[in-house]
Amino acid sequence: MKYTIQKGQSIGFLFVLPALLFMMVFIGYPIIYNLILSFQDVSVMTFNNPVKEWTSFRNYIQLMADPVLRTTVINTLYYTVACIAFQFTIGFALAIFFNKSFRLAKSIRGLMMVAWLMPVTITGLIFKFIFSTNGGIINEFLIGTHLLHQPIEWLLQPVTALWALIITNIWIGIPFNMILLITGLSTIPRDVYESASIDGADRRQQFIHITVPLLKPAIQSVLILGFIYTFKVFDLVYVMTKGGPVNATEVLSTFSYRLSFTEFSFSKGAAVANILFVILFIVSLGYLRSINKEETM
Amino acid sequence: MKSRKQSQHAMVYQNVFSLIIAIVFLFPLFWLLSSSFKMEAEIFKSPPTLLPSHLYLAPYVDQFTGQYNMLRSFLNSCVISLFAMLISLILSVMAAYGLARFNFRGRKVLILSFLITQMLPATLILTPLFIIFNKMQFFNTYCGPIIADATLGIPFSVLMLRTYFLSIPKELDDSARVDGCNAFSAFWKIMLPIARPGVIVIAIFSFLFAWGDLIYANTFMNQPNLMPMTAGIYNFIGQYGVSWNRVMAFGALTVFPVVMIFIFMQKYIISGLTSGAVKG
Repeated sequence: MKYTIQKGQSIGFLFVLPALLFMMVFIGYPIIYNLILSFQDVSVMTFNNPVKEWTSFRNYIQLMADPVLRTTVINTLYYTVACIAFQFTIGFALAIFFNKSFRLAKSIRGLMMVAWLMPVTITGLIFKFIFSTNGGIINEFLIGTHLLHQPIEWLLQPVTALWALIITNIWIGIPFNMILLITGLSTIPRDVYESASIDGADRRQQFIHITVPLLKPAIQSVLILGFIYTFKVFDLVYVMTKGGPVNATEVLSTFSYRLSFTEFSFSKGAAVANILFVILFIVSLGYLRSINKEETM
Repeated sequence: MKSRKQSQHAMVYQNVFSLIIAIVFLFPLFWLLSSSFKMEAEIFKSPPTLLPSHLYLAPYVDQFTGQYNMLRSFLNSCVISLFAMLISLILSVMAAYGLARFNFRGRKVLILSFLITQMLPATLILTPLFIIFNKMQFFNTYCGPIIADATLGIPFSVLMLRTYFLSIPKELDDSARVDGCNAFSAFWKIMLPIARPGVIVIAIFSFLFAWGDLIYANTFMNQPNLMPMTAGIYNFIGQYGVSWNRVMAFGALTVFPVVMIFIFMQKYIISGLTSGAVKG
């Protein structure tokens, strides 16, 4: 009897097998390949050689000495932290507002999701136009209201270019943060607030002592997922600035891409991708631990 | 009585305020549409006009008659996204059912690895896939982006649909099994029809992930007549520079299907996002 149950259960593996094979071939194998590649010297010169030179940690050591990598890591972190700080705060505020039951609440918060679902390429292009020096609506507005006399070259100056990217990504991220937090908010029973207000707690106290603690799981996953999705940014930077001016907006993804597909040093590109992967992996482990505590799989 | 009147007042303010938020927030989309109907001179006019002074259709007409054929890249996008969706759908539905309904060894590890794959950066597998696809003669074919895009849809779909299957009472399958169905026919005849809303969600998301992809298409193909819209528009900019009205028209046409899907499927999309992302 016990045997048949075991046998019946292992059929489940057969259901998973096709997806597993597909992912092993097109994700698992490339990850290992990428690791090996980063310890070799494969470039456009050696691409077709049957035997690749094993160079151990040389690519990593060279990259560590490269000031561009340091700039890139700092840019990526700065971009990620700035994006999350704003999109989380704004998303949270909007979540609290749209969690109220007025007539337009559901349809408008739904409408805002379009920003998150749009192809990032198109979002990048719209904001590239909005931030453009001539004819861009931001410059026109600032000059029209006499806040500026000369147009600013938003995407051509180092600091403003990075902030243009950050602002664009905040726009994409707000609805994502908002919807996930609204889902969390809707699970908090209303009578908790009612009894708190009977006990004399004001709005601010209710927020600090009820909303935040009860929302902690949702807040945690929004922040960690946000970090992961923001940290691996590629399309937006590639479309709006291509890492320029002079590496001011170069992030780990675009740097890896540039090494592999513009300079054709595949091994160095692979090494940068691995550095990005290790950072994300550590953060993901934090995420997995936090969700593991809540739901047993 | 007074408090009811007060709360009605509050509702009016809330509605007005939410409209203002919507207008401010969705301005970039309005600007995309408005600029796409403007003449070149009007784009650079100062102060700018909110709406085009008259509807100028040339930016759109150009997309179909100019050197760059929009219609072609629209069809490319459709082919790539539909096939990526199909692969993701078939593989994920089965995998999700297996992971939700059976308790076999290694199940937890599999769920975890799907979770981790969802977080991988595309650049991690880009260089190896480029080399592998070159060896398989997949370079400049639809196969490259289709396969790569399917890997985006699968982990999300498996995890999302697994939670969906978990919410369906197990007794339904059990009774089917008692009535003489084997595991596969119980899945096919009983579970799949019940899980239809969940399947629709993963179909939409797999399609949208593929539709929005730029990096894979741009890396695995370099022939403009094969490229999907996102990669097409990216290369189109190189060609036309800052011809913003044309770029915006191209953008509007790329976003159009997304907005259509969104309008008709909003209910499914929101439920998918929240259950898929929060519960992982």
